[in-house]
Amino acid sequence: MLSFTVRKLLTVVGTMLGIAVLTFVITNVAPGDPARLVAGPNATEDMVETIRSEYGLDQPMVTQFAIYMKDLVSGDLGTSIVSTRPVLDDLLRYAPATIELVLVAMTLGVIVGVPLGMLSAVYKDGPVDHFTRILSISGVAIPAFWLGILLQLYFSVDLGWLPVSGRLPLVTRPPEMITGSLLIDSLLAGNLKTFNTALSHMILPAVVLSFPCLASILRVNRAEMIEVLQSDFIVAARAHGISSRRIVVIYALKNALLPTLAMIGLRFGWMLGSTVLVETVFDWPGIGLYAVSSALASDFKPVIGVTLLIGFFFIIANTLVDLAYAWIDPRLRRA
Amino acid sequence: MSAPLLDIKDYTLDIATFDGPVHVLKGINLSVNRGDTLGIVGESGSGKTVLVRSVMGIGPSNSAVEGGQITFDGQDITRLDPKGWARIRGIRISMIFQDPMTYLNPLFSIGQQISDVMAAHERAAGEGGSTKGARRARTVDLLDQVGLPNPASLYDQYPHQLSGGMRQRVLIAMALSGKPDLLIADEPTTALDVTVQAQVLDLIKSLVDKLNLTVIMISHDIGAIATIADRCAVMYKGEIVEQGRTADVLREPQHEYTRQLLSAVPDIEAKPARTAVAAACRERQPDAPATLLEAINLKKLFKTQSGGEFSAVSDVNLSVATGEIFGVVGESGSGKSTLARMLLRLIEPTSGNVVFAGQNITGLTGEPLRQIRRHMQFVFQNPHSALNGRHTIGDAVGEPLRIQTRMSRREVEAKVEALLDIVQLPKLFKYRYPHELSGGQKQRVCIARAIALNPRLLILDEPTSALDISVQAQILEFLQQVRAEFNLTYVFISHDLAVIRQICDRTIVMKRGEIVEHGNTEQIFTSPRQEYTKALIESGRKTSRAATLQAS
Amino acid sequence: MSNLEQTAGRPLAFRERHASQLRQLRLYSQMFRGSFSSMLGLTLVVIFLILAAIGPYIVPFPDDIRGAVHMGSRLLPPSSEHWFGTDEMGGDIFSRVIAGARTSLWIGIVITGLGALVGVPLGVIAGYKGGWIRACIMRVTELFLAVPGLALALAIVASLGPGLTNCMIALAIVWWPGYVRLVEAKTLSIKEELFVESARSIGARTPWILWHHILPNCMSPIIVKMSMDMGMAILAAAGLGFIGLGAPPPAPEWGAMVSVARSYMPDWWWYSFFPGAAIFLTVLGFNLLGDGLRDILDPRSRTR
Repeated sequence: MLSFTVRKLLTVVGTMLGIAVLTFVITNVAPGDPARLVAGPNATEDMVETIRSEYGLDQPMVTQFAIYMKDLVSGDLGTSIVSTRPVLDDLLRYAPATIELVLVAMTLGVIVGVPLGMLSAVYKDGPVDHFTRILSISGVAIPAFWLGILLQLYFSVDLGWLPVSGRLPLVTRPPEMITGSLLIDSLLAGNLKTFNTALSHMILPAVVLSFPCLASILRVNRAEMIEVLQSDFIVAARAHGISSRRIVVIYALKNALLPTLAMIGLRFGWMLGSTVLVETVFDWPGIGLYAVSSALASDFKPVIGVTLLIGFFFIIANTLVDLAYAWIDPRLRRA
Repeated sequence: MSAPLLDIKDYTLDIATFDGPVHVLKGINLSVNRGDTLGIVGESGSGKTVLVRSVMGIGPSNSAVEGGQITFDGQDITRLDPKGWARIRGIRISMIFQDPMTYLNPLFSIGQQISDVMAAHERAAGEGGSTKGARRARTVDLLDQVGLPNPASLYDQYPHQLSGGMRQRVLIAMALSGKPDLLIADEPTTALDVTVQAQVLDLIKSLVDKLNLTVIMISHDIGAIATIADRCAVMYKGEIVEQGRTADVLREPQHEYTRQLLSAVPDIEAKPARTAVAAACRERQPDAPATLLEAINLKKLFKTQSGGEFSAVSDVNLSVATGEIFGVVGESGSGKSTLARMLLRLIEPTSGNVVFAGQNITGLTGEPLRQIRRHMQFVFQNPHSALNGRHTIGDAVGEPLRIQTRMSRREVEAKVEALLDIVQLPKLFKYRYPHELSGGQKQRVCIARAIALNPRLLILDEPTSALDISVQAQILEFLQQVRAEFNLTYVFISHDLAVIRQICDRTIVMKRGEIVEHGNTEQIFTSPRQEYTKALIESGRKTSRAATLQAS
Repeated sequence: MSNLEQTAGRPLAFRERHASQLRQLRLYSQMFRGSFSSMLGLTLVVIFLILAAIGPYIVPFPDDIRGAVHMGSRLLPPSSEHWFGTDEMGGDIFSRVIAGARTSLWIGIVITGLGALVGVPLGVIAGYKGGWIRACIMRVTELFLAVPGLALALAIVASLGPGLTNCMIALAIVWWPGYVRLVEAKTLSIKEELFVESARSIGARTPWILWHHILPNCMSPIIVKMSMDMGMAILAAAGLGFIGLGAPPPAPEWGAMVSVARSYMPDWWWYSFFPGAAIFLTVLGFNLLGDGLRDILDPRSRTR
């Protein structure tokens, strides 16, 4: 088990290095001229040159790469042109909002998706199954930003139940930052009012973000359950008189959970990527919105920073999924 | 005499398919009394598995009972609801399955799976749950009873840590955990090695005697049926063609099909009348070398997952004379398939040499290797996967011609038809796909493919073990004909000693990658030197003895 | 075989020679027609394809596609004249949404096509060859898969600069690894099949095996994935368009239309509703179609 963990850690480090190289290649080998992009369309040739030397873009590629990697290792991700702050500071400021949103959305997706998938597999071709099938197909097909707008229209504008956007209203003082999650921090501070406000802001973005994820978790879990329920060892368990409920909830679910876990890992990454859309729709002050506004301003250092950070989160999530795999499947435990 | 425990009357079952309903079971009549041991013999597709699964209410989906009924202990169970089944399945009727590999849940420990079954039975019987510790003790007891070593430590192990034979014992323990009135065994030994088969059969036999079980056992292996069952029924195409006392049925088969089936079982005791094919072949090809194929110190190491090395074949020497049939016998894991593939360079040997017709082919690559492959061909064990499902039979048979010769499309077509003719298949088959053919037909196609280039050597890797007994007999006979016609030399790999004795001139016996015995086939059979060889022959005798009762 | 004698003299009719394929086709079409969702998917996709082909010639206001300005008819609600209402320039949204089909089809074909064109050969080679070639290909693939697609695409567009072409390039770059992974896994399992070994034993060269044995057996999942990906690529491109990195405004691109429409919320709801619905229905169509194809092509779900 120890060597397993050590190997996983090495993979994480290796993949991070790989992503660093990838981002470097994207920004520097791409045919676009970063200096000109930064300078904007109306810049003179001189201004472009100034920016070029300022960014070290006139150096040979290898030197640039060495500098890039050295900065990266020391935690220097460059400076944002728009906010004029170091990118790392910005990321630390915006990341908690995104993490909170993604975790809430993922929890929502799992606790709704897994049981629903199980139910529709057991009652295959029944009413529940038809409902979940429509849900799962439309969930993957619906554009997140459009769904967000529709929900805003209905729940915020028409019904007035939930706030349109943002994480907290400007007038509400955020609780003292402990974990970075407004929900937890406000509870820790004993401030229920702030908690409720934060929660009401959270609901719509979390639902929109989790919907496609819920749909595919449901879908995979349903398909796997159906297949497992037809497998030989389930037939044997039935033949040996084990009750249907135990077969479904204990025996089959555990087997079906393995592929579902893989989907959860995959969808985690997808969710992190989708934050750029959902955070834009809901003005959620996270790294997704930060990346989008920087990209629109041709400020590419923050975009790279966000890419690296999202990659890092994704790797962590995948590693956790791998560990969960080994925990469930005894065949993997030996290695 | 009281009413029978299980009574099946005029039971008829259909399965709906795209091409219309298929009558899987037709008017089955069968009854089993308490204490009976009934064997059901039949080949694949005879409907025997569907029949016993219907008895347990786990028959195939999209099937419909067209008529008749099944009565168990006075209760009609033909169309029972799930609640009713919950009181019978696993508790009063229990089952041992065919393939122990797939019938245990890989994610739960052995002990948990068995004690779960116990708990379910206690609930169903309304006994109230016994403690976890008590169930554990009983489970360990059961594991001990089915002859598993270290039952206490086995409790916490997972299925993947056990061998096939051990898993089958676990499944037997599971089936016995509820003290069932009726035990159904569905080909309990088919997936196991021959020597393990004998052990598991002995175990079932001793348990039947000790616990006075009522048993229905289905098998295609007449030897297994004869060991266990006092009475037997023969199934063919969804019907029971014959039933009676096992000894009677075997001694004086009434139905034509039973007679065919029994005569198709190769007789391990019979001294084959060997034709002088080898000599004739050498006569016709005087310039051919006496030794066609030679292996010198052939060795293959595989890396295991844990980084260690595992020697699949170690220091094997053999030489195959032109025109002979050279037998290789061994159980799974003996390295016989690896050896066969090395002879053809489908697997690279770790060290050693292969000499074909005087030419060392070990170092060959590229074009020379391709050229040498014209002369040596392989027939695979499983014809179902040896043919690409997306190619027509014509494509499959024509493929070697298109790869190795410059024949035009028209010539290939003509040759394909000729080849299909040789393997006694209609020409029309070239437009068919493999999944439309039966196993025996597919194996014929594979043979046609192998002889398309007029090779000198055929390596046959268990060519009949995936086929039914009656088909096996046809294919074996056919292989003999082809050999005579094309002057072929065979390397014949098999685990079935009766087949080996029937056709092989010389034989080697392999165990764990090494040759433990070699020599003239007759000599090996009449005076085996190794214990292992003796055990193999003994387990082979069971089947053969049962089938040849009529002769004695 | 009694008909063997009968047919020996004359050449076989097409129907006789291809009886097997015909039966297979009949089976497929029956299974496909039996499923409501598959037929719905097919219908949506066919409508989409027709609109993409002839849309610009049948729309009521062809000029509005390229952003003609009619200040008099700005932001009108849906009516008999303007079915989907008008936008802030007075353009007919119905015409623009229909014209968007062609843009989306183009996006889908380019991204999916490039992805498959690059990914499938790499996947087959990686799976069949093994060794260091596989290690290299798979490492790079995993690297690309280690960053969520949309985030990576955003970074690429940011460094290339916004625009529809750059969007497609970026998405194609993040799309191919999916094909490598799918095809590699499939190849690995097909490689173990006896018929591949059988082909090797008769002396087939590697390209022959890849082309005649591996690739045909990989086709089903590839077709299913390509059908699904047509939808997903359109969705992703619409997402980039929504952010504002896609086609610049007057171009009839659905994502960009929703993006502009967002500032006219909530009073002019139809502006964002109809382009979004078009994206949804198109993606839904391709997903349902892919699903239906999987049901008939995947041997796991095939009964007979």
